[in-house]
Amino acid sequence: MMQALALRWRKWKQPSLMRRLLLAQMAVVALLWTMAIALLLYDSYEDPELLKYQKIFHTITVIAENLADRPDRQQETLAAFDQVLVEASGDGDAAADTAAVLQVWQKDRLIYRSTAGVPVILNTVPNRIETVTAGGREWRARTHVSANSDTRVMLAEPSVWRLTVTMAYRGYYLLPLVISLPFLVFPAWLSMRVALRPWRQVTKETSERGPADMTPLSYTPPHKELQPLVQSINSLLQRVRDSTSRERSLIADAAHELRTPLAAMRVNVEALKEQSTDEGQRELMGNLLRSNDRAARLVGQLLQLMRSDAVLHGDLPVMLSLDALVQDRLAMIEGLASTRGVELELECEGNVPVLGERESLVSMIDNLINNAIKYSPANGRVLVKVASESARAVLTVADQGPGIPPALRERVFDRFFRNPDQTQSGSGLGLAIVKSVVDRHGGEVVLEEAEGGGLLVTVRLPLAAAEAPQPMLSL
Amino acid sequence: MNLLLVEDDLDLGNGVRIALANQGMDVVWVRRLGDALRTLDGGTFDMVLLDLGLPDGDGLELLFRLRRDKQILPVLVLSARDALDDRLRSLDDGADDYLVKPFALAELLSRVRALARRSYGFNDETIRMRGLALHEPTRGVIVDGEPVELSRCEFDLLALLLKRTGRVVTRRVMEEQVLPGGQANGSNSLEVHISNLRKKIGQGYIRTVRGIGYVIDVQSLVRSTPK
Repeated sequence: MMQALALRWRKWKQPSLMRRLLLAQMAVVALLWTMAIALLLYDSYEDPELLKYQKIFHTITVIAENLADRPDRQQETLAAFDQVLVEASGDGDAAADTAAVLQVWQKDRLIYRSTAGVPVILNTVPNRIETVTAGGREWRARTHVSANSDTRVMLAEPSVWRLTVTMAYRGYYLLPLVISLPFLVFPAWLSMRVALRPWRQVTKETSERGPADMTPLSYTPPHKELQPLVQSINSLLQRVRDSTSRERSLIADAAHELRTPLAAMRVNVEALKEQSTDEGQRELMGNLLRSNDRAARLVGQLLQLMRSDAVLHGDLPVMLSLDALVQDRLAMIEGLASTRGVELELECEGNVPVLGERESLVSMIDNLINNAIKYSPANGRVLVKVASESARAVLTVADQGPGIPPALRERVFDRFFRNPDQTQSGSGLGLAIVKSVVDRHGGEVVLEEAEGGGLLVTVRLPLAAAEAPQPMLSL
Repeated sequence: MNLLLVEDDLDLGNGVRIALANQGMDVVWVRRLGDALRTLDGGTFDMVLLDLGLPDGDGLELLFRLRRDKQILPVLVLSARDALDDRLRSLDDGADDYLVKPFALAELLSRVRALARRSYGFNDETIRMRGLALHEPTRGVIVDGEPVELSRCEFDLLALLLKRTGRVVTRRVMEEQVLPGGQANGSNSLEVHISNLRKKIGQGYIRTVRGIGYVIDVQSLVRSTPK
């Protein structure tokens, strides 16, 4: 549980381009909003709305002058108008600290004031918004003087609280922004995810390919950001492919060139051996020939390995009948088996079609059978079976030799690895070739102990679905 | 037997020349394609042993010219190229056999003899093997001096095995080439025919390789007379 959490945390902590984009977007949005709010606040601080309207002052002046002869009506009307002003500008509560204050003088006598709690506020200059201190507080105040200078109307708003008042008053501007901030993150995340789909496709394709697959990526995104990435991946793959194929052809060429001197060595020693009657000399020449055999086999296997490893193989896979192919190869190799006194036997179970490269499969079968013959005791038997089981073609080769200890069964597939206890000569390439061919064909190879102690090799290949395999060539 | 050996490698060419000469064959050894073409024009040969990678051209060139001139001179290709394509191409171009380097001397000698036998129809198209003699044109078979009556299938099977002496002939090839109706003819009929054939010619000739095919061994010829 803790481990899962820790893993999740580590995963979350890992830097992500997506998160960078999201954070950057959010930062930009937040910055814009801050600027908008600042502008709004600055604007309202400069000139409180209420004090800007000349009409308000004019109306109050008219009320005060027209009702000057009826003081009770005058008081009543001014109070009603004051109430309207308070409601329009602030939160509507006349008793609140934030409420605007109205004071009216007529003939230098104070005839109306909103509240007695606020002392008389006097502007120095008429019709200008000024900051005035009165009753221990700062006010933004403006005084309007009528044409005949009889009536003065003063409106003031507390300056300290104005920010809050404006915020509350302009709340409807800000609220959607504040509410939408979290909602903006999700669509942004979603849209980025959708927009980054080609990216994920490239990632998927690169991660899904096998180690030997050096073909260019099949998906070439048209996008400006991704195209260079895919192009450089492809050109890297191309370079790796070129260098491996150069290496491979160098090895193949070298192996090839070795064949003629090996043949020359062999023919000369054989001719010499025929002329010689000295038993000791003949034995030595026999040793020479055996070494020559080993070198020749190694050269042959190197060539097979280079061929079966080739990334771009010239051969197209063809429909083959595995049972017929195995029968052909066994017939070819039977001569070797009978000179060694080893009996070969094949058990086939109907037609086993396989889609594959003929030459690779031939070298796989040859190596399996040659190994089995090599490690078989005299008068031993090598039993080969070809069958099909649930969409797989199965080839098994069982011998009566010493087998391979379980601990070494994985390592014997490594190139040039040889069982240290083993007395037979060998190159250590045979099973590596088998493995390479099997891998190329999408199959698997398993080593087990055969009944009676020998080695049992089981190769499973995908079964082809075709009806009629093409006729085989016996060469 | 006159042989033309075309091989550019000094040691290999010389070795093969000496080894074949030891077997009583007359070998002319040349190292270039041009020399080979001139030598062929100048003399009569029974067979050509041809290396493919020559310094002044591909050995297949010589093969091509021989076949163009309708010469039936048998050609045994000796090559380091062992890929199936190379073999097929050589055989398509008219080579009679193909031997991949490095080869055993015994193998070379047996192929040379087999080619000579095949191309010159030694003994009037009669194939002889131990006590067996098979004459294809008359479809006659003689075992230890006594003529034996064989059915059509039995004769074809014996001919097939004798032509490939020492090599296993797969069941599939036998079924396809000899049995009427091919493989569809029931799985036992091949065994039945072989069994009948053995009864008529004796048990010692045909060896069964289980599941794979049948073979008439050469070695038994050397070891002992048939039982």
